[in-house]
Amino acid sequence: MGIVQALLSVFLDDGDKLRCINAGRLRITFLLRSPLYYVCASSWGEPESVTRSHLEYLHLQILSIVTASQLRRIFERRTNFDLRRLLDGSEPFLFSLLGRMELDLAMATSSLNCLQLDQSLRVRIAEALVPTSKMKDTLYIILVARGQVITLVRPKKHSIHPADIHILVNTVYSPSIVNSPASASWIPVCLPKFNPAGFVNAYITFLHRPDADQKYYQRTTPENNESADTTGASHVAENSQGATSRHTTRLVEDSGIGLVCISGGGEFETVRAWCDIVTQKLNDDGSLDALARAVDSGKTSYFASQLGIPGLRHFVYKSRSHVQITLPAFEEPYDTLDAKRRIVTLYQTVHDAIHAKSGQTGNLKLQCIRTEKEIVMGWITQPFELYVVLSPRLPKAAVINAANAVTRWVKKEEGQLFLRDAPVF
Amino acid sequence: MSKQFQFKLVLLGESAVGKSSLVLRFVKDQFDDYRESTIGAAFLTQTVTLEDQTTVKFEIWDTAGQERYKSLAPMYYRNANCAVVVYDITQTASLEKAKTWIRELQRQADPSIVIALCGNKLDLSARRQVTEEEASKYADEEGLLWSETSAKTGEGVNAIFNAIAKKLPLTAPPSARGARAAAPGTTRQNVDLNRQPTARGGEACNC
Repeated sequence: MGIVQALLSVFLDDGDKLRCINAGRLRITFLLRSPLYYVCASSWGEPESVTRSHLEYLHLQILSIVTASQLRRIFERRTNFDLRRLLDGSEPFLFSLLGRMELDLAMATSSLNCLQLDQSLRVRIAEALVPTSKMKDTLYIILVARGQVITLVRPKKHSIHPADIHILVNTVYSPSIVNSPASASWIPVCLPKFNPAGFVNAYITFLHRPDADQKYYQRTTPENNESADTTGASHVAENSQGATSRHTTRLVEDSGIGLVCISGGGEFETVRAWCDIVTQKLNDDGSLDALARAVDSGKTSYFASQLGIPGLRHFVYKSRSHVQITLPAFEEPYDTLDAKRRIVTLYQTVHDAIHAKSGQTGNLKLQCIRTEKEIVMGWITQPFELYVVLSPRLPKAAVINAANAVTRWVKKEEGQLFLRDAPVF
Repeated sequence: MSKQFQFKLVLLGESAVGKSSLVLRFVKDQFDDYRESTIGAAFLTQTVTLEDQTTVKFEIWDTAGQERYKSLAPMYYRNANCAVVVYDITQTASLEKAKTWIRELQRQADPSIVIALCGNKLDLSARRQVTEEEASKYADEEGLLWSETSAKTGEGVNAIFNAIAKKLPLTAPPSARGARAAAPGTTRQNVDLNRQPTARGGEACNC
């Protein structure tokens, strides 16, 4: 700590900024966001801009807990204030953010990755979420599942910054909230891109409660073909098995569907009453059921192999107009944590090069990296950015063909891959 | 015809005294050895049935004990019919904090609010720092319900909520009864979260 302070102040005295120190494979990156310094030591080999953006997100998450103006006031009064006192109890938010950032390509590309869903179902859900006039001060209504946004309803006059959504989604899925036995949480949160100086309130409720609901979905999937009377019998049997309940617990985390209502006002009773009505409506018209089934049966994600493009292993497609990405679930050979980390780092490297984020001389249109194990290509055009991972044996012409085939597929499936035309109020 | 009541209950107290564990025991009869700190406030409900078949539904706001949430507390107790102020019997300082909350409630909450003082972590009585005499004497002087509980073993937990339920219908205003209390829109004032709460006793309840 002392050394870091000393190093930083040496540079500050010269009116300069210390960005990073390279020591072999280890790089120490610094980010100054007065009054705070952020430091990261990493030996992953990711581009400097990536580490920097991670530290930036960390800063935003801290602002979501204490606000920029609070922070400034405190350190103006006492320069040696121990920030841990103020963050007491909110460490889980920071830990879950660190875990999330490692592999989250939506955060890496400053975009949103929405849950893949049947377009008409998404629209039907979104319409149910449009707040009534009684819900004044409502800022955003967001429905999430699997850590992804399903739909987002917002006022006509302002949109929401992707970084604010990431901070919010991380907050919702941090253990403090998602594991809470409460039926709802009401928390003050600062959305730093919306207003770094003040708090808004977030009402967070998980529509899918553990136990009964989960068992129901788990039960129906394998037993759909059986006759009604045997279903009842096996239900009893399942309930008495320890293994079943463990399985159920896992499902809860996976398919937890969260309703988040951000309000500028303090009328939690109004918000709560409205959220109860909305939940009831979604239940009654079967949307919640349909959504839970989609999430549970794996229809909300896809694999690269389903596209049937020779040599294609994985890709990330960013629609620049939607500021959203779509990507398949990682599958063999990228289904282990180490492999995922490696491929995410490769994506970050290409993304960094194309956008010239680490002091490169200029932006690129296309970059291709060939490793022993794969080809990674990044390609940027007016409407989209595409990053593809392909078999290393593929000839150049086939690489281009595969990239074109991916864009055609995305175009065709756009309706369910991206969140479009969500209602405003 | 059995009577039905619905009341708002707020839990207050220093962080880590076991507020959330107490509610979890009361609502779900569960206990976790490790719990993340509550953030902001958590909402739960539980219904108790008294001997005369009267049912009392508690709408519970379990508030975070951290200092940075202190200014939000009025939002929860302003419309509360009852409050459980929790301390940890192994921490003298937590009783002092509880007394501060009680003074604040007496000054600023609805005058008819039922307040219970609750000494938690009875299972750790070997490390007790707060004697029963000290706490019960204080509670008597201030006209509070008082008991000791262990969220871990469940001892005393239902008893304290039952005691509150019994005391409530007699002292709470009749409008807290049934559906009317559930009607939204009874909280009419927006809260400016950047503003420090000012002492104002007069605006407690407009039901």
